[in-house]
Amino acid sequence: MKRVLVVGGALLLGMGAVWADRDSIKEVQTLMKGNGKNAGAMSAMVKGEKPYDQATVNSALAQFEDTAKKLPNLFPASAKGVKLDGDYSTSPKVWEDKAGFDTKIASFAKVVGDAKGKIKDIDSLKANMPAIGKECGGCHETYRVKNG
Amino acid sequence: MQRTILLALLAAVAAAGIYWWLSAPGVAAVGNAPAHVPDLANGEVMFNAGGCASCHAVPNQPDRLRLGGGVAIKSPFGTFYAPNISPDPNDGIGKWTDADFVNAVMHGVSPSGQHYFPAFPYTSYQHARREDVLDLLAYLKTLPAVAGKVRDHDVGFPFNIRRNLGIWKSLFLDDKPFVADGSKSPQWKRGAYLVNSFGHCAECHSPRNALGGMIAGQRFAGGPNPEGEGWVPNITQKRLGEWSAKDLAYFLKTGELPDGDSVGGAMTRVIKNTSQLSDEDLAAMAEYVKALPPVDGPTPPKRKQGS
Repeated sequence: MKRVLVVGGALLLGMGAVWADRDSIKEVQTLMKGNGKNAGAMSAMVKGEKPYDQATVNSALAQFEDTAKKLPNLFPASAKGVKLDGDYSTSPKVWEDKAGFDTKIASFAKVVGDAKGKIKDIDSLKANMPAIGKECGGCHETYRVKNG
Repeated sequence: MQRTILLALLAAVAAAGIYWWLSAPGVAAVGNAPAHVPDLANGEVMFNAGGCASCHAVPNQPDRLRLGGGVAIKSPFGTFYAPNISPDPNDGIGKWTDADFVNAVMHGVSPSGQHYFPAFPYTSYQHARREDVLDLLAYLKTLPAVAGKVRDHDVGFPFNIRRNLGIWKSLFLDDKPFVADGSKSPQWKRGAYLVNSFGHCAECHSPRNALGGMIAGQRFAGGPNPEGEGWVPNITQKRLGEWSAKDLAYFLKTGELPDGDSVGGAMTRVIKNTSQLSDEDLAAMAEYVKALPPVDGPTPPKRKQGS
């Protein structure tokens, strides 16, 4: 009986771990969708579709910063190969080149940190936005795979 | 019996002759082409539109103008290694003549008369104007010389027999100069030219058949990523209907999609080049792409929930 309990408990724990991995990838998807919305809101100002709004910029940068803080912990080794619905999946390179991936996140964090306080009007937004976009693309180039 | 053997031999000889004739590297006629006075600024535009740096810049270093080559290009036929096209006289193209360069870029034939593999997109570059190609050569010669030859391609039999590429070319190289639709605006025409010649967008954004030839009816309709995992999107109005021409131009400038998402994969390298183009050229390419009629491409694999 004890044995059954132990085995059963181990199985449950194992399943729990699998779900945890799915949750972490899901959290990445949610964060990234939020980032996209924020970046889109700032681009709309750069493109001249919307007037400049400091509050939008501040909350976008705050969310980028939050993402940079959370990302290093959202790709546990056990999440490798987890694939969810969506336009993109995680490239195995995240785990194969962990050091390179971590460097990218650190670089993103630094650029966002630098931009905070520098973006005060439409001109400084136009001046700083490309550097942030480059960080997004620089990481997605290698570590994200498009599904279809 | 002897007669049968003789006939078979004759047939074999004839077949070999036809093969040799079909597979011969065809080049431009040299001779009375007028001397070209190069326009370096235009050469730089063609360099950026053509995305030369994506494959020919030395990998893992920041300077996209050091064209020593070495980038590995994966394909179902093997791995290609982009060669040195810096002006180094021994390892690069420093000694190349105008005719050498035109034959390479527009006909896929090396100065020594060998076929190039179509990993080098001469299938698109053939539609470029000769003057633009020569301006590009003049511009390339102003860039830093980088020493060092790149390793050979890693391609298996029978694809490693370059002569076979002559047959491939007869099947998939249309060898027609690019003619823009006369009824369209000058901006559309400029876009059509950049997208279909130097821009070589269709090379990745179209599905290919088993021989690696582009499926013409599904041009720009996307397909599986030939370099490995993932999918190259359909860029006709089938998929991009919600994008305005302005969205497209902004995307080519910044790598940012209309929903705020940023581009990834190989397109990131493309944006590094297109971001250098003028707003006018980007608007022209955007207008052309926006006008692409909707075309159904291959269906991306369905993914299941879970791993």
